[in-house]
Amino acid sequence: MSIQPPEGILCSKSHEWVLDEGDTFKIGLTDYAVEQLGDIVFVELPELDSEFAKGEVFATIESVKAASEIYMPIGGKIVEVNEELINAPELINENVWEKGWLVKVQSDSYAQDSLGLLEYEDYKEETA
Amino acid sequence: MKKTFLHDEHIALGAKMVEFGGWEMPVQYKSILDEHKNVRQNVGIFDVSHMGQVFVSGDDALNFLQKIVPQDVAKFSLNHAHYCQLPYSNGTLVDDLIIYKLENKYLIIVNASRREADTDWFKLNSKGFRVNIDDKSDEFSMIALQGSKACDVIEKAGISKENQPKFFTIAQTKLFGIDVYLCRTGYTGEDGFEIICKNENVVEIWRKLIEIGGEFSITPVGLGARDTLRLEAALCLYGSDINEDTTPIEAGLGWSVPKDKKEDYNGKEIILGQLNGEIPLTKKLFAFEMVDKAIARHGADIYIDGKKCGCVTSGSISPTLGKNIGLCLISFEGENANLATSLNTTEKSIGTTVQIMVRNKMYNAKIVKKPFVQKKYVK
Repeated sequence: MSIQPPEGILCSKSHEWVLDEGDTFKIGLTDYAVEQLGDIVFVELPELDSEFAKGEVFATIESVKAASEIYMPIGGKIVEVNEELINAPELINENVWEKGWLVKVQSDSYAQDSLGLLEYEDYKEETA
Repeated sequence: MKKTFLHDEHIALGAKMVEFGGWEMPVQYKSILDEHKNVRQNVGIFDVSHMGQVFVSGDDALNFLQKIVPQDVAKFSLNHAHYCQLPYSNGTLVDDLIIYKLENKYLIIVNASRREADTDWFKLNSKGFRVNIDDKSDEFSMIALQGSKACDVIEKAGISKENQPKFFTIAQTKLFGIDVYLCRTGYTGEDGFEIICKNENVVEIWRKLIEIGGEFSITPVGLGARDTLRLEAALCLYGSDINEDTTPIEAGLGWSVPKDKKEDYNGKEIILGQLNGEIPLTKKLFAFEMVDKAIARHGADIYIDGKKCGCVTSGSISPTLGKNIGLCLISFEGENANLATSLNTTEKSIGTTVQIMVRNKMYNAKIVKKPFVQKKYVK
């Protein structure tokens, strides 16, 4: 996990990141979350077009030991899920910032929802 | 929370520590999956110092043990290990145990979380017996060395393979010049050893085993992989698969209970009655494999033909098989009385489809034979 996070990501206190890609927002887990979880062996992703408010559970990630719920860092509609993870959940461990992304959403509430999110450097300090 | 004498070693090795049975223990060092696979392929070293050691001696030691376990202790040979249970008077379990017969005494290995319950039960049952019950758990540490290359590591440590204790036996010997009990036992389904030594010597033994084990690809292994390893071997975990509500027969441990033991023991009427089929089982532990893609974990509800009939007692992925597996307790009572006939023999039960509720959705699973992964004991 020596790869640097993408420029401009914002992180939630529940350990998800969101990246503004113009039309859509990409969402994933932070390196800290993955470090805490250990080997990820199963991922349950939401259905396309389902909508979630900020803070709602939208996915479940399972390590060998336990299942963990993953929360939306912003509100939005799911427009794409990372289907590679279904058969290769270990991509999250191997490459959390790129291949390990979870979903892409469209969001009308990003401006407001992103207010409580932290820039990566500040998040890093909080979790240190 | 109690710490083992290897606590600082774990921290230095980068372990993630968790609470288990009142102890702060390593759950993993780098990766549960890698640690698991390395035990199956090479050899792993575990700190199992949380396990308790109780010595039983005295003129009536044999008679006392005959009263408290279903196994026939009179038939135990010197320096042999036996898997035993400790039942209450109604046949349900205080704990499960390994008993080693030593010269003039017995060594009992108890589960960390059950140490007090066990010693209380020993004392309660010892009335009228000339017996000394000596809980030495605070003086001893324990290391498990598990995997097909464990015997190579012990050979490198100075005990040739011919001189190593055979499967399920114990030797009082020296390792690196230190007095130890060297036991050919374990909890992974692999060949391997458990080493019991005085607390003050455990760091030296741990470090030396890791050092000489380097050429055999030894890695430290935490409780996370210990759990997936024992689950693949379908070995019960007290507190999950067996507890104060399960009898040995309900737990599928009938293979370890003799039918011809003459002496009376706690719970004999029920245990023997269930073993002989005279007393019908009200529930039974089964092994299952997920058919649909989901991991069923401890506590998940199980359904057959739409009726709730039990729950998962242990569930995880099997790193060896790449499948999701588990153990479950299925009830034969009330609405589920019909299951007593449809599932009453292993042959009939194998292949039975069950549904397991995971996060409010039903997933198919099927009953399979135990163990999930064949044991590789060297006998």
